[in-house]
Amino acid sequence: MPIVAISAARLNQLLGQDFDMDILVHGLQQLGCDVEDTATLALFKCPACDTPNDKLAHEEPPKRCEFCGHESQEPFEQFATDEVIRLDLLADRPDLFDPGGLSRALKGYLELESGLSEFTVGDSGIEVHVDPIMSNAGTYRPFIVCAVLDIPPLDHNSLREIMRLQEHLHWGIGRDRKLASIGVYDLDTIVGPITYSVVDPESFQFCPLGMPGVQMTPNEILEKHPKGVGYKHLMEQYVKYPILLDAKNLVLSMPPIINSDETKCKIGTKRLFIDVTGLSKDSVIDSLVTLVSALVELGGHVQTVRMNYPDGPQDTPDLTPGTIDISYEDAKKWLGLPFDRDDFMTYLRKMRLNVTPKGDLFAVSYPAFRTDIRHEVDVFEDLAIGFGYENIEPAVVKTLTIGQARPEEKQSKMIRDAMIGLGFTEIMSLLLQSVERHFSKFNLELDAHHVIVENPKTIEQKVVRNHMMTGIMETFNKNRRKAVPQKIFEIGNVIHLDKQAETGTAEYRHLAFAIIGPDTGYAEGRMIMDAILHELKWNGSYAAADHPAFTKGRSAEITNNEGLWALLGEIHPQVLNNFGLAFPIVYGELRLMQVI
Amino acid sequence: MTLNEDQWKILKAVLDAETPLNLNQLVDLTGLDMPLVSATIQWGQESGWLDVAENQREELVPAEEAKELLGSGLPERRALSLLAETGRMPMKDVAAKAQELDIPMHEIIKWGSARGWFEKDKGELVLTETGKTAMQTLDADENAMNIAIARGGVYLDDLADLDIDVERVKKLLGTRALVAKIKPRTIRIVHLNETGTSILRSKDIRIVKERNTLTSEDISSGEWRNIRLRHYDVTLAAESVAPAKIHLMQKIIQETRTAFLEMGFEEIVSPIVESAFWDFDALFQPQDHPARDMQDTFYLTRPAEARLPDAEIVERVKRTHEDGGDTGSTGWGYTWSEARARQTVLRTHTTASTIRAVQANPRPPRKVFCVGKVFRNESLSYKHLPEFHQVDGIIIDENGSLATLLGTLKEFYRKMGFEKVRFKPDFFPYTEPSAEISVYMESKNAWIEFGGSGLFRPEVTRPLGCHVPVLAWGLGLERLAMLRYGLKDIRELYWSDIDKIKEVPLCQ
Repeated sequence: MPIVAISAARLNQLLGQDFDMDILVHGLQQLGCDVEDTATLALFKCPACDTPNDKLAHEEPPKRCEFCGHESQEPFEQFATDEVIRLDLLADRPDLFDPGGLSRALKGYLELESGLSEFTVGDSGIEVHVDPIMSNAGTYRPFIVCAVLDIPPLDHNSLREIMRLQEHLHWGIGRDRKLASIGVYDLDTIVGPITYSVVDPESFQFCPLGMPGVQMTPNEILEKHPKGVGYKHLMEQYVKYPILLDAKNLVLSMPPIINSDETKCKIGTKRLFIDVTGLSKDSVIDSLVTLVSALVELGGHVQTVRMNYPDGPQDTPDLTPGTIDISYEDAKKWLGLPFDRDDFMTYLRKMRLNVTPKGDLFAVSYPAFRTDIRHEVDVFEDLAIGFGYENIEPAVVKTLTIGQARPEEKQSKMIRDAMIGLGFTEIMSLLLQSVERHFSKFNLELDAHHVIVENPKTIEQKVVRNHMMTGIMETFNKNRRKAVPQKIFEIGNVIHLDKQAETGTAEYRHLAFAIIGPDTGYAEGRMIMDAILHELKWNGSYAAADHPAFTKGRSAEITNNEGLWALLGEIHPQVLNNFGLAFPIVYGELRLMQVI
Repeated sequence: MTLNEDQWKILKAVLDAETPLNLNQLVDLTGLDMPLVSATIQWGQESGWLDVAENQREELVPAEEAKELLGSGLPERRALSLLAETGRMPMKDVAAKAQELDIPMHEIIKWGSARGWFEKDKGELVLTETGKTAMQTLDADENAMNIAIARGGVYLDDLADLDIDVERVKKLLGTRALVAKIKPRTIRIVHLNETGTSILRSKDIRIVKERNTLTSEDISSGEWRNIRLRHYDVTLAAESVAPAKIHLMQKIIQETRTAFLEMGFEEIVSPIVESAFWDFDALFQPQDHPARDMQDTFYLTRPAEARLPDAEIVERVKRTHEDGGDTGSTGWGYTWSEARARQTVLRTHTTASTIRAVQANPRPPRKVFCVGKVFRNESLSYKHLPEFHQVDGIIIDENGSLATLLGTLKEFYRKMGFEKVRFKPDFFPYTEPSAEISVYMESKNAWIEFGGSGLFRPEVTRPLGCHVPVLAWGLGLERLAMLRYGLKDIRELYWSDIDKIKEVPLCQ
């Protein structure tokens, strides 16, 4: 998850007061933010675009600008430091990604403001025409919403803030631009109406961001421009590429790859045009309302854009608050907290929600960006946060219940005690194994009875164990430089395919034990196996086995007519070689119980 | 008076001696070793029977190589024969000859000059009159060395008795460690006094056997009464040994189980190979949720599909995802796929077990827990294992609430050894509200995030037929083990270093 550094000075500026770092951190934590730590950032000026680049105090000064991409031989010059709070972003709450959204929440928590954030929405008079081809099934990026914002003239800091938020929304909502991607432009460079359509990847040309005067075709951009190379995979299924054009055919952007250089935001820009395009209607709407709501907190004024969709016009963004009716009694029961109706309303307003009585219930209005609210329990959570987790008096459930352990666990404990009594030390190993370690090294073959993983990151996790030998042999290998004899055991589950079972597998609890040393052998193993069978009051008969992992003539299978299964033998010298071991090993494995 | 056989042997030797003996002589006479003789004499001294006179002497102790050196002749003596014919020789010729014969040149010059055998004159080495004489006779130190080598050491005052010039010996050997060392020695001479003499001569002396151990026969025959067991120095350190032992991780698992069982929880299991339905869908995780990606979850080629529960349950879960069904929720607003729910995965959390338990028996009151292996599609690193242990607990209770959840957690964590616990809001996909737990670790002087909790969303419980609050929490046990044992690398837990398992104390 990305970590974002929020400047304490910037937060205080937005809060209109000078709070101590501790108060800010505590407030953010009590709001549910994941505060990683606080830190001092060093700020460096990019010699090309003047934008501040920041680094942690102990990090190397930058040589490449993270905004304009400028690279220099010399490290950038440091001009200031900044005290910041570093947050691990919460994917579920994109409204808490930036100083604007965080200050809105903090204003409620610190009781500076309450209820819904108030703002007016104007009409920009800008229209966008959406080419019907965009909604052809399975092609292009069908969904688009837009907005206009009047803002205080952009400076380096506000420009940087907007770019960061855009990036984080791409991560949090847009699935790295796949479901939704945002474009932000200087409206004063654009003449409406705007068209959302497609262009040919080979014949069309424009100047991509950061390359003024360099005309490139869309395909050239995908091959050569860093953003094109980075997001090329999103265009693979397209024959023609999405494009946003103004009335004079000036390119705004080629979503979701890159903006044009002519329409980019710069220092001094005071009218923003914003578009969000994507594959998911919810994601594009969420991205837009979250972004413009954050910009409102930074002093922006929202204006709608008339979207002429193939199925009719609509004004976006729609920032109408959502409403949900909730029950005070249900909330009280769900949370178990001592609040009355007045407190109840106060806490909700503290969380920047509006609440009004509505018969037996309460009508709660929540901002458009709070798409996480799907059920009244989501509002209950806000209520609990408004109450303050630190103020909750913990209680315990008074109902009596009877504890009960699983039978295989009771049995395993008994066997574990017996094995330790016999001088064996317990080991634990992993269930996921490579084919080589689990089968080939034992002269076994992967056959139709084994569980196979479809998508492991490495071949080390290709199969799920169906015997316990691998962990034992690997452990001996790891301890091969230590004194012998060594005696070890493991108790754990193995998994076999079982067509009758609900999930297609059966799980068994097994015991494996082994001794490595110059003088060990079948007879010593037999003593141990017999001792364990005796403790379990199990009887079995030994019969010569023909198992490829064991020396011929020195292994046995132990069975009876009640389903007993065990294996005992001397490990084949070839297998010893395969695991880099130089002493004989006697190995026993016993099925203790079927678990699933 | 009771003495053991050895004590008697030593004291008897003292008693019978015509002239007072020293300790070395006692060792020779009794055939016992020096520590025993020395301890016995000290004991006799402390008992007031003996007086010990200390006599300072100097001993000439031959070096290890001394016999060989003297046998072939000391370097300067070997050089005598080089000059025997001519009486003088240029230094460089001497050096060449010396090198040829492997005689150290500097030794020749140093010790030859010291003895007055050679002189340097105009770049030549000259044999002196003393040197000429020396060719026929051995020097004092050489004589002394021959005696010392023969006897394994000799006292200088004994040499004086043999008319050897002790001062010359000291001058020539005092700093010649290659040949010998002169060491100061304290000689203890034992004098039996009157008290000792009368006691040892009396009839009251009883001699007992002293042993380190009793034989089986000594014990059963009663012979042990005549045997005195030697006293040990009980403060001495012993060799280290560690018992065969339960695995570090297993111990944490068993402690966790015990905590839950003591709190009245029933233990449950569920399959490791799980359906996506129970791992994700039943927990209201939308089918396009990133956690379900191939990136994070192990899907299986074999078995490829699992069976779904009753059609009615499946239908309710489907509707909850699509439009909320009758749970009071808006749902996710997408078309739910049964095929995706049938996919098999290696379970990603033990919440798959507890949610199955909710469906199996949703009637309160119930408390259940599950400890088991869970899987994440990650490569092995110091921070991540592709498989690890998790514990999940739930309480199904009419009066369950956020407050009782936090209260139960406090008790649970106290049982796990954490006295100080605090909570903060968090966001998890299937609980609402949710709380993250932090515990205070004395050893780190810090709060450590350690576990998540919450009330299952109604979208999770109602489709499964449960209409009362379900309190849920879970935590990863490897993380607890790492904190407990101070490990920096999670893989250390599974390297199964036998020595490490044995060394870590059971009591933590």
